[in-house]
Amino acid sequence: MSVELKLSRSNRIYRPDEQIEGKIITKFSSSISHYGVRLTVNGSVNLQVRGGSAGVIESIVGVLKPITIVKKSVEIRPSGKISSGTTEIPFSLTLKQPGESKSGKFYETFHGEDISIQYLLTVEVARGYLHKSLSATLEFIIESEKAELLELPISPELVLFYITQDTQKHPLLSELKSGGFRVSGRIPTQCSLSCALRGEMTVEASALPIQSIDIHLLRVESILVGDRIASEATLIQTTQQIADGDVSRGLSLPIYVLLPRLLTCPTVLAGPFSIEFKVSIVISFQSELSKLHPKSDPRTPRLWLAMETLPLELVRTM
Amino acid sequence: MADTDSSEPAKSDAIVVKFRARNYAAEATAHSLPRVPADLHPLSYAPFLSPQVVAIDEEKHGTLDPLRAPCRSVVVPSKDLENARRASKPEISGSDAAQLLGKEWTTFKRFLVQKFPPSKTVAVSSIANLVIGSHKVYEKSNAHLDELDDPQGSAEEDVTFITQQEYTARLSDMKTDILSSWDAGDHFKSLKLSVKVARLLRDTDLLQFYPTLFTQVTDILDMLGDMVIERIKRKAEFTEDGTQIRALPEDFQARDVCSEAKETCHNWFCKIGSIRDLLPRIYLELAILPCWRFLLDDSTDVIQRLLAMMRGLGNPLASAYCHLYLVYSVQKLPARHNGYLITCIRDISLLMVPIVSSKVTIEDINSESRQVLVHLMEPPMEYIMKCIFKDHQQGCNILAELGVTRNLSELFGEYSCVSLLLHHLLKELPPEAFRSNILHILDLIERGIGSSFDQCVNFRLLGFRLYETDAPVEIVNVVLERVIQDVSQYQDLDSYLKVVDGYVDIVLQNQMKIQLEMLLEGIAERACNKWINDCELESLKSVFIKILSHTKCLENILELNFFAEIIDVMRGTAKNAINMRLLEIATRNGYIRCPTTVQFLFEVGQGLRNCNGFLSMLDSDNQHLDRLLSRFVHMVDFGTEWELHLTFLIEFRANFASADEMKETLVHRSNWLVMKALKDSKQLVSFGKSCLAFSEATIPSIANPVKQLFLYLETAEVALTIGLVCHSDGLIDSAICSLQSVVGGTPLDVDRIICIIQKLCSLLIMVPGNPIRGVTYISKSLLSLVNSNALRITARLKVRTLSANIILLAALSQHKLPYSPGDMKEVPGNDLLYFDDPSYQEELASFCRHLLQDMILAIKEEASPITRGSLALEACNSIASVLEIDDNVLCICNELMEIAGSCLSKEHFYLLSTSKLFVANHLRNLSV
Repeated sequence: MSVELKLSRSNRIYRPDEQIEGKIITKFSSSISHYGVRLTVNGSVNLQVRGGSAGVIESIVGVLKPITIVKKSVEIRPSGKISSGTTEIPFSLTLKQPGESKSGKFYETFHGEDISIQYLLTVEVARGYLHKSLSATLEFIIESEKAELLELPISPELVLFYITQDTQKHPLLSELKSGGFRVSGRIPTQCSLSCALRGEMTVEASALPIQSIDIHLLRVESILVGDRIASEATLIQTTQQIADGDVSRGLSLPIYVLLPRLLTCPTVLAGPFSIEFKVSIVISFQSELSKLHPKSDPRTPRLWLAMETLPLELVRTM
Repeated sequence: MADTDSSEPAKSDAIVVKFRARNYAAEATAHSLPRVPADLHPLSYAPFLSPQVVAIDEEKHGTLDPLRAPCRSVVVPSKDLENARRASKPEISGSDAAQLLGKEWTTFKRFLVQKFPPSKTVAVSSIANLVIGSHKVYEKSNAHLDELDDPQGSAEEDVTFITQQEYTARLSDMKTDILSSWDAGDHFKSLKLSVKVARLLRDTDLLQFYPTLFTQVTDILDMLGDMVIERIKRKAEFTEDGTQIRALPEDFQARDVCSEAKETCHNWFCKIGSIRDLLPRIYLELAILPCWRFLLDDSTDVIQRLLAMMRGLGNPLASAYCHLYLVYSVQKLPARHNGYLITCIRDISLLMVPIVSSKVTIEDINSESRQVLVHLMEPPMEYIMKCIFKDHQQGCNILAELGVTRNLSELFGEYSCVSLLLHHLLKELPPEAFRSNILHILDLIERGIGSSFDQCVNFRLLGFRLYETDAPVEIVNVVLERVIQDVSQYQDLDSYLKVVDGYVDIVLQNQMKIQLEMLLEGIAERACNKWINDCELESLKSVFIKILSHTKCLENILELNFFAEIIDVMRGTAKNAINMRLLEIATRNGYIRCPTTVQFLFEVGQGLRNCNGFLSMLDSDNQHLDRLLSRFVHMVDFGTEWELHLTFLIEFRANFASADEMKETLVHRSNWLVMKALKDSKQLVSFGKSCLAFSEATIPSIANPVKQLFLYLETAEVALTIGLVCHSDGLIDSAICSLQSVVGGTPLDVDRIICIIQKLCSLLIMVPGNPIRGVTYISKSLLSLVNSNALRITARLKVRTLSANIILLAALSQHKLPYSPGDMKEVPGNDLLYFDDPSYQEELASFCRHLLQDMILAIKEEASPITRGSLALEACNSIASVLEIDDNVLCICNELMEIAGSCLSKEHFYLLSTSKLFVANHLRNLSV
């Protein structure tokens, strides 16, 4: 006995003004009678505050009340019978009526550390009190509707950056401090989610051989708790190594980071919460010391690391 | 003889034999065929044979007649060219091209593994150990993106040693795992495992094992790539429930692919794009590189991006092999520009600069391991170079060709010091491009001081290329001049020789004697007064073999300055090879007349022989040497200096004559010498005697009695020709002695002995009868020889000997002998000695009678009826041809015919023809 949901699009991506189409698939060994088949859409922003910048009370309370974006329930079938075997019940659902108010903004799906924006589709086959009702839940993904999109092309605004021993605020290895190094590059401040983050950088000089250069993508999730803002920057699992070993000096290395789905979304600055992104370039130099701390967080300033973090605005384009 | 005399006295008296009188001169004219002069030599090639006929013939049968080469060679290449052109067209079936690429790649991988045979054990660093060592690592992993990342364990310094087989076995385990998880539908797990496999390539400390590892890893990656492509293609062609919606053509475009398939494809690239480590990320993307076809029509940008990403690989070895894989993978894409190859080459050269430049020292890379590294990086370079010129050679990408040619200097740019690159470029450069850039390349080589690849190797290669591309002479001159100048700075014999090796061919081809001598002088300077090692000896040998193979005449070589000096410093097998070659050349074209040359060759031969003494040469080599020396003896000719020649022969015998073959040649030569002297002068008795003495002394030392026999007979003939009858008698006696030992020895070659006996009999016709020993003395001793070994002598041999003797007696009985030695009057024949001597005739006739009777007895002894029959017929015929047929003879003949008739069938052809002959003879006799 099973109920399944299947959407018309295999990638499960829809825009708020689109019809969500699909089918409910039931597989029963014998025919059953029911009190109706219901389909529920539930979109919400879930917030959670953990340690760090949050106050003591908030950290105990932890989970804040979710912000509902959409909640709709539709009856697909009135009470009746579903025959044995496989039955497919097609459905079609409108999330947002054209005339509906703009207040309920459909944020894009986002799975973060403290904030997650999720849209769930649930089907329920109610079978009265004697039987447990059958249900299935499926997450679908919302991307901004076309009308709200920025016009292409986004300005290819690249910011220049330099990383030298003088730009580092933390202590460095003495050889590095005295011998110096210089890495320069360019990276965009704004990037479309459907494209890769493209930039370039060059190791111009370095007193120590380079071990590795990595690009980290950070998300900064801020939540308004009372009158305070709890903000935390965490690493998105997409870490990209762009140099492995001591690269040639003066050669331009490409920065090419594919932005992962779900883990990124357009930068959001809403009232109760905000989601922002940063890109961080970390250069690790060859050092005996680094071998003693193999599993350290790459964002922790170390003697053999040099880093630069730049803000990155993510946008949705056509 | 005494036996026969006493046993059958009655019969012998009864028969009276009369020899048939012959006029040989008249018979010869009567029987000779009419002669007509021919227009053509029967073996010459007939150029006026209609070529059309040949062509039609070929088309019809299509078989390759090797003898018809001159016509055929015109036809065949054109067909081949056409095929080649067709095959080279890039637009023809992609699958064929893919197959070809696959085959090439397999060959290349095999070559890689063979070139770097890995040592037994491999030190596995912790990175590899994580993958290879513990299977737990990936078994407990859950399906999440972060599993693609390096578990950050790379800092542990554990190094374990495992055997190479173990390593390989574990890799193939991984391969099976990848396959099985793919089949189970867990594509993500397959990908994860593949990433782990690809990560192994980061471990460049494996050095010698790295190429092998590379081939194994890329095998796995290719497999994954193929599966992914297949899957996406299936998505594009079929719906989920397996019905086909469309078939993608071979040259499909991105717009032909449905969004579903594109989505899957994009997903794969995203997954791979999220791999943390650079090297596995690049390798995995390369593995599924052909998938870009589903998304993009033009993948130039992708290739450029990947190339740029590779610059982030700091390790030159890893980077070079990564480039290699890129070049291979890109070829799977349908259309492409060759520009990326140039970028590859440049990037690799850039990486090599710090390795090769002697100024920069990297602490932990000492010069030896640097050499190894360079050596390891060679194959990728070679492969990429080949790819650059592959299209070019097929002539299908003329634009690229022009581009490359023009960009030659651009290609090198500032990195020209990487001479390895230059080496491979030089190797692959197409002839036209090479010809137009010779001087430019020379500049680059001269500048190339990089230690990555010895400059001399490049110089040598340049020489080879010059030779094979038929460069114009002016350029060759310029190049040679400069090269000789550059090379003069080399102190090391080995590198000097390497360069010389490259230029010898072209110098010889253009007959630049001065340059050749300059090069030789250079060698001499560096080689003399120094111990030459084996490697240098080999090079020297190669150089000299080349020189020798270009020279037609030995004198040209001997004239060369420094040649002899250099030969002197050589030793061992290299010297032997050169010496052999010298002998070969000397004996190849005509006679050797110059005494100095003879002396030189004599010494060469002595050198070879001495070497053979303590170096155990192969038997075949020895035989070859013997043959060469015999040939040498054969080709020596001192003209009218006969004495000198004889001295040479004597000296030669003293030094070399150990093998029969050589002694045989010596005897032949001495006989030849006598005959030649005879033609030129009539006064040579004493010289002739010396020669004969030489031969007489030499022949007994020959082991093979049959050879001895022939030589005795030959020498006897010569002795007879110059009138030394005593000598010839002595020689014939010796011949009969050795015949005795032949007959007594095993095994008995009956035909050969019959042949010898017949030859001896024919010689005896000319030998004047010895009045003391009796005219028939030699014949008699021959007969007693035949009779004495009755057990070993077959009836056939006996009968043939007897008939040969009968014929001999018949010839001797004539008024004029059929021939005389050299038509000279000095030796009177028996016809003159016993002119009209009745007792002489009587002796011949009576001996003949004995022979006839012996013959009948011998025939009867024969056991086999068929042989008996034919022997009887044979005897009958020879009797009929030499004897007057009176009643007595007829009686004997009838007896023989009866024997034949009883043994052979009545229809036997020989029997019929013989009886016909008798009937005819009989009738003629009656009519007379």
